[in-house]
Amino acid sequence: MAKGEQGLGGREDQLVIFQLSEQTYGIDIASVYEIIRMETITMVPRTPDFVEGVINLRGRIIPVIDLSKRFNLACSDRTNSSRIIIVDVGGNTIGMIVDAVSEVLRVPLDSIEPPPPMVHGIDAAYLRGIAILDSRLIILLNLEKVLFEREKNELQELTLETA
Amino acid sequence: MFSDEEISVFFDELEEKIQVLNENILILEREGESQDALQEIFRAAHTIKGSSAVMGYEKMVSLTHDMENLFDQMRKGLLPVSGQLVDTLFMALDTLQMLRDEIVGKDVSVDIEQVAARLKQCREAGPATPAPDAPADAGLAEPGPASAGFNGALEAVDEEVIHAAALKGYQAYGVTVELDSGCQMKSVRAFLVFETLQQLGEVIKSEPAAEDIQEGRFGKSFQAVLLTKEDPDRVRNLLMTVSEVVRADLSQIVLTNGMEAPKQAEPGAQAEKPERPAGGEHAGTKTVQTVRVDVQRLDTLMNLVGELVIDRTRLNRFAEIFAGRFGAGSGELVDTLNEISSHLGQVTGDLHEHIMKARMLPVAQVFSRFPRMVRDLAQKMNKEINFIVEGHETELDRNVIEIIGDPLIHLIRNAVDHGIEGPEERAGLGKPGAGTLKLRASYMENHIIITVQDDGRGLDPGRLRARAVEKGLLDREAAGLMPDREAMDLIFMPGFSTAAAVSDLSGRGVGMDIVRNQIENINGTVDISSALGVGTTFTIKLPLTLAIVRALMVELGAEQFAFPLANVVETITVQSGAVKKVKHNEVIVVRGHILPLVRLSEIFERAGGGEKKRLFVVVLGVGEKKIGVIVDRLLGEMEIVIKSLGDYLGKVPCLSGATILGDGQVALIIDVRSLVREIGIEETVYAAG
Repeated sequence: MAKGEQGLGGREDQLVIFQLSEQTYGIDIASVYEIIRMETITMVPRTPDFVEGVINLRGRIIPVIDLSKRFNLACSDRTNSSRIIIVDVGGNTIGMIVDAVSEVLRVPLDSIEPPPPMVHGIDAAYLRGIAILDSRLIILLNLEKVLFEREKNELQELTLETA
Repeated sequence: MFSDEEISVFFDELEEKIQVLNENILILEREGESQDALQEIFRAAHTIKGSSAVMGYEKMVSLTHDMENLFDQMRKGLLPVSGQLVDTLFMALDTLQMLRDEIVGKDVSVDIEQVAARLKQCREAGPATPAPDAPADAGLAEPGPASAGFNGALEAVDEEVIHAAALKGYQAYGVTVELDSGCQMKSVRAFLVFETLQQLGEVIKSEPAAEDIQEGRFGKSFQAVLLTKEDPDRVRNLLMTVSEVVRADLSQIVLTNGMEAPKQAEPGAQAEKPERPAGGEHAGTKTVQTVRVDVQRLDTLMNLVGELVIDRTRLNRFAEIFAGRFGAGSGELVDTLNEISSHLGQVTGDLHEHIMKARMLPVAQVFSRFPRMVRDLAQKMNKEINFIVEGHETELDRNVIEIIGDPLIHLIRNAVDHGIEGPEERAGLGKPGAGTLKLRASYMENHIIITVQDDGRGLDPGRLRARAVEKGLLDREAAGLMPDREAMDLIFMPGFSTAAAVSDLSGRGVGMDIVRNQIENINGTVDISSALGVGTTFTIKLPLTLAIVRALMVELGAEQFAFPLANVVETITVQSGAVKKVKHNEVIVVRGHILPLVRLSEIFERAGGGEKKRLFVVVLGVGEKKIGVIVDRLLGEMEIVIKSLGDYLGKVPCLSGATILGDGQVALIIDVRSLVREIGIEETVYAAG
């Protein structure tokens, strides 16, 4: 599908492309463990708002977060195309709910530009860059930051509150 | 070069054999020349020599060779067991252990010359000529004169069993089985004989004891008492089908006035003189055969079971859809599908349980190193100690086993060091010169209880109080008011150590508080009871496994929660009218006591099932503190596998983890301790306001 962009010896990234609140996002395929359909999520009380709960992934308990809540974006309804992307970041396996997963794309590194300070309400700190491909705009996420930056603080606050 | 796997097998075996040597040398020290022990020792040393030669560890070969020579002399009765000999043997064992460390690359260089010299010295100390009547190979002692039936003493218990069985139509037979004298695999043959017997009936006793027989510790024949309805000829024929069985005789056992009077079923039945009396237990029912399995492999199996569970759930769901789509016309197919699905569910459940059990190990793993430790300590302290270990076979999860080692070492050291008095002091008190230290493991419900009991001087509550005051842990007034029972618990306080002088044995900066911590970390408890001058007993209560608990499942809204049963006192139902308000808190009165209530829905900020007339209350207890938790519904007890919520969520208040239910759904496990603590805080806040 993205064959045209290949070649010329340029280095490229392989991205998993997904939709969230009508925007297109991409994350590095290396950090994606698998993609599953929505399933029953057990809510875990007293966790940050964007933590949706936990699921059973073949015997493992995996926390699941709602990515749109994470970015304070308008929450979209769960549909048949909603997916949970299971990612492996820094030794943690975490599920992220997205509206849809569309494809895997190869993106030449030179088509990736540094992010502007704010993109669709998301702070640039969470972004790796913006890729423009066939006049499509793909927002590349920095998963490490997305998953860990604020949670740590919030989770810590929680522990402090109850300590 | 050898593969890592081969090397690790070698080390496992080495460790095991060193342990066997340790145990049996201790037996020698205690009981003098025991041929059984010597056989074991000789065999173990021989195995180490053989395998280390294969692996090419020269020093080890040379050392075990020297040891083997010595053992051989002892076995032939040329060398009497002496204190000096035992010490030398232990020294050699320690050297062996060090050689092991050297091989695995710990930074030690081991010199075996010194030990070798001492071993040689011992060997030369023996008489030059062989004792005239020493048997060539004591393990194969000649059978005694022929007699009939079963020669081992039948105890009253056995006779009762035989009597009871007779009423149900079972006959008791004394079975004598003789193996070919050239039999190489006695233990295997014996095992097959036992298997055969057990298919035909019940083996209630054997001579020698079943374990001994199955490990090949018998002459060429052994005996058993079989309860069966089968014809004796058929039994005999079946036994003869086991290879290398040259003779199988049965004679009926008839009890007359509680006396055993074997009636010959066949003339000329031969029997062997028992080598040693069998224990009172129903031997022969346990057959232990083992394989070494990597724990990693068990974990993988466990995960695979998890996947099976999911697929089973999917199958269930599919069956529903199938039934919906094809309607009544497919009735039979749907039934079949459901049947398969439910059977799959059962099998998966069993599989799960068994893999869990496979992770259990007998406590002997830890216990076995203690006899040697106690011996060394006692020798150093010039004390005589009779160390008794009971219940090695009790099984625990391997994680728990790894953790309890240290606390136990500490307790045992303490008992030897501070608890048990020296021989003179004991004599003065009218106690036997040798102190008794008893280590015992047993099951109690779904816990294991380990006790460390000594008959030493006991704890003096007065001294404990004084000490606590002196250390500034307690003020004088509080100490005076403290009951003896609580004063005992003072030893668990950080910074408390009763030994007047810190000896080099115990008190190396590790206090009893650490012991308690280590045990509590694995959800265990430790209690102490002591009587001045009579002795001290520490009782450790541990969960069988860290991974599984029995839990009470409850429902709140659409979700399930698990309360570990250890903290559930009872469940009650109350009318909503019985709930009273004290300040802001809801309470009920249960049997005259006020019980604070909380609603699970409030704690977890969850919509509950709304107001109802009847309320279900789970009464939880942590220590003396009790609270009642109102839930929507009680679902019953089940065994759950504890899984962590993971690092990402970290420690979630009032939750200790999650578990996966039979249908693949996740249920959260409530951390009762933190819940009770939290409620405690709220109460005080309210009380203050």
